[in-house]
Amino acid sequence: MADIPQAPLRPPAEVMRLARMGAMFPTRLSFLRSLMRRLKAEGARVTRGHWQMDAAGFGEAVYTVRLGGYDYSLVAISSDLPAEARTDRVIATAWDTAYVLYDGVPDTAEIARIKAAAPRQEAARFTERDLVLSRANKSVRLFSHVIERLRAGRQPDRALIAQTGYLMRTTAVYGNGKFGIADRAVYQDRPGLDGPFMAEMLTVWMIRTFTHDLVAHIGGAPLDRDLRRHLGIGNSTGLGMAPFLVTHPVLLNNWMLARETALARVRALPRITGTDAATLQRLAVRAARHLAQWQVPDTSHQQRIDALRIDWAGAVARCAPDRLVADYPIEALIRWSQRGSLDLQELMAALVMEPFGALVDGLADCMSDPFGPLVLPLRDTDALRARIEEDCAWALTPDYASRGECRQFWYVSAAKQEPRLGDRFEEEGAALESPLDIGRRIKAAYADLPDAPEPIERFLQRHPDHALAVARVAAAARYPYGEIRDNLIGAACLPIDMLRCKLAFFGASKFDPKSDRWTRITLCQGAPLADELDGDVDGWWLPVFEP
Amino acid sequence: MTEIAALAAKAARGAGAPPLQAARFGQAAARHLAAGRDAGVFKEALAALPAGPVLQVPIALDAALACGQADAPLHPGDVDPDFLCSYVECLPFQAALAQERDRLLLRVDLSHPAPQQRPARIICDAGFIAELEHLAARTYVPDTAQSRARGAGAGLTDND
Repeated sequence: MADIPQAPLRPPAEVMRLARMGAMFPTRLSFLRSLMRRLKAEGARVTRGHWQMDAAGFGEAVYTVRLGGYDYSLVAISSDLPAEARTDRVIATAWDTAYVLYDGVPDTAEIARIKAAAPRQEAARFTERDLVLSRANKSVRLFSHVIERLRAGRQPDRALIAQTGYLMRTTAVYGNGKFGIADRAVYQDRPGLDGPFMAEMLTVWMIRTFTHDLVAHIGGAPLDRDLRRHLGIGNSTGLGMAPFLVTHPVLLNNWMLARETALARVRALPRITGTDAATLQRLAVRAARHLAQWQVPDTSHQQRIDALRIDWAGAVARCAPDRLVADYPIEALIRWSQRGSLDLQELMAALVMEPFGALVDGLADCMSDPFGPLVLPLRDTDALRARIEEDCAWALTPDYASRGECRQFWYVSAAKQEPRLGDRFEEEGAALESPLDIGRRIKAAYADLPDAPEPIERFLQRHPDHALAVARVAAAARYPYGEIRDNLIGAACLPIDMLRCKLAFFGASKFDPKSDRWTRITLCQGAPLADELDGDVDGWWLPVFEP
Repeated sequence: MTEIAALAAKAARGAGAPPLQAARFGQAAARHLAAGRDAGVFKEALAALPAGPVLQVPIALDAALACGQADAPLHPGDVDPDFLCSYVECLPFQAALAQERDRLLLRVDLSHPAPQQRPARIICDAGFIAELEHLAARTYVPDTAQSRARGAGAGLTDND
């Protein structure tokens, strides 16, 4: 792999900024895309081994898929939820459906155990056989419409399908040991689940299958295939997801580095084939249609989309095959996009990777973090000073004492034990602030460095609070894309940017921000159905749907 | 294990440990309990915060690692050997303790990451878990009407 030519990587100082991270789009390296390729490579088949559902669609189902030599089963529980109890907020205690991704094929006793526990979600305890825990609520308006139409012997209104894009949306997908479910380490070496969030992505994809089957069961007829293909799984994502990027710097580095390496490889292509040029043009046109179908209620975000639609028309023109015959055509496209907005640049970066799976897809194997930070601690304070000035200068710029640069504080709520963001000058709780203020910590450590060098050991004995900053600085050289290079407690910090970055890596599209701290998205929209894994599993980047 | 590690880390923070030391305490505690070792030394370490081995041991291990030597002298202070061993097992590189005459050494293979271990299910007494939960609760911020309205960012309803 070291022989593959590549252009210089975009530097971390450019890439690891919140505003750019908040403009990211899904790529070939997004986890759902990797999963689909893996399922196809394994010749995976999904079977529905259990279906115990009443006429109204309440009961349980079990789907099993064999991947990498292991069976995994989605146990789906559908309950009769009163309308007044239906909320996507984390305060909810009941949901339309609950799910467990089970390690193996559950027997009757295990199905009964999961049926009793899964609907209680956080209030229940789970076992090591339970790999992922999730729940989803119906999109009531669309779900009811679909049932009504199917019962009448008709297919649903395509405009409504296009408008919503999912029958259910998940409000949590828990993995890695929460509430007694299996630690990720249990399956992180298994083929197929070794990539980041693969168990969670597999769960969501199988939930999508269940939602399609459920409306077919209640409605008495299946949805047309193209409708099912477009119906993904909605998701509401709030602040709970944001701190992950800060608390997992090695993982963040590996994700970003893989993506940037992919981009650098395609930029280095001296020429591209006519077939690849045609693919680029076709996908650029599709992206334009996708943008045209991407409508959100939030005014400022819609303005961004509108501006991108206009800019992207220029990109489509640049992707005409006769304009891609000069040397280094991908580099030229990237350079052209750099004259435009971050949205334009990031969409172009995602587009140009698409035709070149042979250069890109193998990098998905480099996106996990099986070891943690393989870094030697720094020896003395002079080394620490040098590393801060070399790798972490971004942290020294803000005046963290000013109100604007420390306006926000991250904390964990007592009620739900979930991350929250407060206003330091208007709310209680800043004394219990979560340590996501990496930049401020690095600057504080820098300020306390002694004039004469001393061992780090001695420095930390005097300043134990600086240990986190010292460790992050020590890791920065080896993991240059591991740190968000912005002030995460400043008034200007928008958590939605962190959410979009992570969700784009998942493979989400149709970001629909509801505030600066939570968003709706759609997962698996356009993805292959369970019975389509032997076909083209990769052709669903930025899906479109014609109403 | 990750659940216990997270809880123990929060507990250490609640007891006064800085964030990184708390996180390393959490990892070591989970490893310690998974190995079936006595939880007592970890209870004592929590009780000693905001001083004691929770602060001393990471500094000592990092000082030894920073030498970049296969056998580095280790000066952890007066620390229970099992407590120290659990911390060493959480280092990112293959590492072990070795006694050479009157010197304690950290024996490290910097060319190899620590072997991945399949995590064991941790069975520990409810009293210790309750103690951890009690300390962890000190890090949580009580809800207010304001935080409920805007802290997570969502509106009061989110149905469609």
